[in-house]
Amino acid sequence: MNKDGLYADMKQAIVEGDGAKAGRLAGEAVRAGLALPEVVEKGYVPGIQKVGELWEAGEYFLPELIASAEAMKAAMAALEPGLRQSGVRAATCGKVVIGTIEGDIHDIGKNLVAAMLQAGGFEVHDLGADVKLERFIDKAEAVGADFICVSALLTTTMVNQKRLVALLRERNLRDKYTVLVGGAPASRKWAEEAGADGYAENAVAAVKLAKDLASRRA
Amino acid sequence: MRPALLDLARQRTVLLDGGLGTELMALGMSLGECPEAWNVLRPDDVKSIHRAYFEAGADAVSTNSFGGSRIKLASHGLEARAAELNRAAARLAREAAPPGTWVAGSIGPTGKFLKPQGEFTEAEFESAFAAQSSALAEGGADVLIIETQYDLREALCALRGARLTSLPVFVTMTFNAVPRGYFTLMGDSVARALKELEKEGASAVGANCSLNSEQMVGLVAAMRGETGLPLIAQANAGQPAVGEDGRVVYSQSLADYVRFVPGLIRAGAGIVGGCCGTSPAFIKAMAELIPGSRRRA
Repeated sequence: MNKDGLYADMKQAIVEGDGAKAGRLAGEAVRAGLALPEVVEKGYVPGIQKVGELWEAGEYFLPELIASAEAMKAAMAALEPGLRQSGVRAATCGKVVIGTIEGDIHDIGKNLVAAMLQAGGFEVHDLGADVKLERFIDKAEAVGADFICVSALLTTTMVNQKRLVALLRERNLRDKYTVLVGGAPASRKWAEEAGADGYAENAVAAVKLAKDLASRRA
Repeated sequence: MRPALLDLARQRTVLLDGGLGTELMALGMSLGECPEAWNVLRPDDVKSIHRAYFEAGADAVSTNSFGGSRIKLASHGLEARAAELNRAAARLAREAAPPGTWVAGSIGPTGKFLKPQGEFTEAEFESAFAAQSSALAEGGADVLIIETQYDLREALCALRGARLTSLPVFVTMTFNAVPRGYFTLMGDSVARALKELEKEGASAVGANCSLNSEQMVGLVAAMRGETGLPLIAQANAGQPAVGEDGRVVYSQSLADYVRFVPGLIRAGAGIVGGCCGTSPAFIKAMAELIPGSRRRA
């Protein structure tokens, strides 16, 4: 089998958001007995990176991002049993607990960030929308998270992002987690003000930021 | 019969209102509350906001029904009360409206996605918007304004639903500036969006939210090249930030916001108003700039 050709096809399947093809190619890799971590790293990850570039260039929009993230999920689902069986885990960039803040029911942006983080190699625990501050922390403690990502669409609920950081401090857990904030009203300046560790403007930027911060954590 | 709002738009710049949600908050609406519920719980407060906008010089105000489709109301468990809340929304604005002014029935996004990104079909969206539109018409709306649309497909569902009433329908999309131009979140270009909306029978089209008034000038110029319909522009007062005292402030001051309003009009906007972060004070300042406005008449 021509590995390079296969990897190029895998990348293409992700860029095109073709979940059926991404999953089928993953199955081929499993049957051929390829080293699956390498398949992820050289086949699929370059695809999702390319998608990020196309988004930044204004070529791709939300539907393309969602389709590509779904294709990535299909590929990973097909690889997962093989990865587990071989005892080799695909390298995870870190564990993320994510949700939309208390009082806020908007979850479009949060869902996209969750999907892209997962596609980008993070283990993602999505708590949904209108998540109580305590739940973010309890979940992060339970799964041993590295990141807590908090979304808010409304200026009125955004203040709860700051309260989450305060609550972490109160419970002496602030330094244990990297806290990222996002959502339409958030900004880098707001992240500083809220005492968070970072802000990203969109889902693609969020993955970049999280990877950057993860490498510094390591 | 009173002249239509569109006739006025042929004679002079029409002035709409500004932000409603932020005004409701200022009157004590709390986090996570359903704004449309205030149409029956706190009708006098809602009416007082409409009155303030009319006093500022607005020709038309938008009803408190932005999240009033049954699909959006379902997130508050209020979907069964959609007709009642929308009728009340229109009635309150109607009661606040002085002679020679208009009531625009506001219709915002469902907050959900159509297939394949989401679970909903176009028929489901269209039927929810049709029900909302007919309740707004019953309550006394003169026009319907479909606002803050980030998905052209959803906007067209809303437009088809709204057109089942006999009212004129305005549609504003929310565009972001990306390296290749202005696009919605879903990737609809200005040209495509305006063309499709015009084809589907919109009476006026335009943009609201996302951009500040300075950025909106460039967008209006881009839109002007794509349609002969009257153009609507309702910019945000910049970006929100939380101040020292925990209160939300917007990055564009009133003076800075209003400075670009003549530019919006010169670029081709015939119907102007505000969006997030704007208040009756902004509308009053805009009215003073518009020849023939209710404030300058």
